[in-house]
Amino acid sequence: MKQSERIQVSDGSVIDPGFTQQVLQLTGEEVMSCFQCLKCTNGCPLAPEMDVPPNKAIRYVQLGMRDAALAADSIWICATCYTCSVRCPNDIDIAHVMDTLRRLAYQSQGDATPKAHIVHFHELFLDSLKQYGRVNETKLLARYELKEGRFLKDAKLGMKMFFMGKMSIFPQKVENKEQIKLIFDRASKRKG
Amino acid sequence: MGLQIGYFPGCSLHSSAKEYNDSIKASFGDLGVELREVPDWNCCGATAAHSLNEALALALPARNLAIAEREGLPLFAPCSACYHRFLLANRKLRESEELLLEVNELISPLDYKGGTEVKNILELLVEDVGLKKVKERVTHPLKGLRLVSYYGCLLSRVPHGRAADDTENPVYMDMVVEALGAEAVPWPSKMDCCGASLNITEEAIVCRLSSHILDNAQAVQAQAVVTSCTLCQMNLDLMQSGTKPAYNHPANLPVFYISELLAMAMGHSFPAAHWKKHFINPRELLEKMGLIQS
Ligand code: SF4
Ligand code: SF4
Repeated sequence: MKQSERIQVSDGSVIDPGFTQQVLQLTGEEVMSCFQCLKCTNGCPLAPEMDVPPNKAIRYVQLGMRDAALAADSIWICATCYTCSVRCPNDIDIAHVMDTLRRLAYQSQGDATPKAHIVHFHELFLDSLKQYGRVNETKLLARYELKEGRFLKDAKLGMKMFFMGKMSIFPQKVENKEQIKLIFDRASKRKG
Repeated sequence: MGLQIGYFPGCSLHSSAKEYNDSIKASFGDLGVELREVPDWNCCGATAAHSLNEALALALPARNLAIAEREGLPLFAPCSACYHRFLLANRKLRESEELLLEVNELISPLDYKGGTEVKNILELLVEDVGLKKVKERVTHPLKGLRLVSYYGCLLSRVPHGRAADDTENPVYMDMVVEALGAEAVPWPSKMDCCGASLNITEEAIVCRLSSHILDNAQAVQAQAVVTSCTLCQMNLDLMQSGTKPAYNHPANLPVFYISELLAMAMGHSFPAAHWKKHFINPRELLEKMGLIQS
């Protein structure tokens, strides 16, 4: 979006009408019809932990408040449970909007968020998927713990699961690994 | 004869949720459902793909949908989370020719035409097999067992449309539980969120959410929880496991997959090693209720 479209208002926040258009276009959701009934936030199981609950995220989109929306921790905490989406009286798929904000935040700022560990987990998950075509829980968890500097913290649990037969050390994989790699390469060339 | 179905086990049914896979395989054949594993299936992309990259969130399910279409089979995803990813991706691809074209470029030489139906385990049992047939096959009814059906989020919350089952008060799982001879106890948490994949990254949140669900199961004096989602099963079972100080919920309630109960009611007996895959081992309860021999 062009910087010239950004307007600073009296309380210091920056308004960018291009952001509203971008989210409307990416989601196809009728975000402008939200009338702040709060039904989404009242039913949101994660609202107690959220800095920007779903109704407020929708408001930020309406107002073009890109920075405030994309800096929110809540877009990473949202569990994509769809409680909000099926209850909105205006049929806005709010979970879809949250998901879109998450991807926009990732594209513009990568893991520069207090919830960086969640970004890392998703990245490692996709890494495993790209390599094997399937996800190997044991390796994924070990790599995540290592990355976040908490290796061995969950070792007791890991060992227990191993002996229960719930974890395998042999990676499962697809036969056509080339095709999976190709899908990843092509998808990375396509923006968003 | 019978129903041929493209079986998509997904990653967890091959590792942390093997008992789900085993019990589906033990029960579906006798119901006339022939499970044909989707050849060389890949991971649906889960939360990671839709969080970081929309193209992958569509292309990864699309590859499996295209393979199932080539085989002429509907796609059955037992894990509720996989099911939901397939359902949403499929709908988007069917709604827009332009998008379908774009995604087909990502998965070429495969070419998806939009013809694959996606099914979850309850739709399959209630709508395709039919409860009449399920009841006919029950040889060992689960008499006296008080169960709470835990649907979780993703079986029936379908944005912009309706799932087959009710969105706010789904009943298919209760119907299956009762067809198996057990009691489906009404309770307030059947649709509450367990926190899903946040269990790795935001432990405190998952403890709060999952503990609340277990509290409510205890409050109605349920003897066990039934689910169809691998994340739900894991979180509720783990919370009671005592493997970490935070995982100390005292409910002591086994968390079954619906197919484990189905197989048992149809006379299948699982070896002890099967039940050991549960943190709260159901054997004690099943013995007490006279449903398995000690
Ligand atoms: S439920 Fe819908 S209309 Fe109500 S505040 Fe949330 S987004 Fe807006
Ligand atoms: S989808 Fe996200 S924002 Fe909506 S209710 Fe669930 S956790 Fe809250």
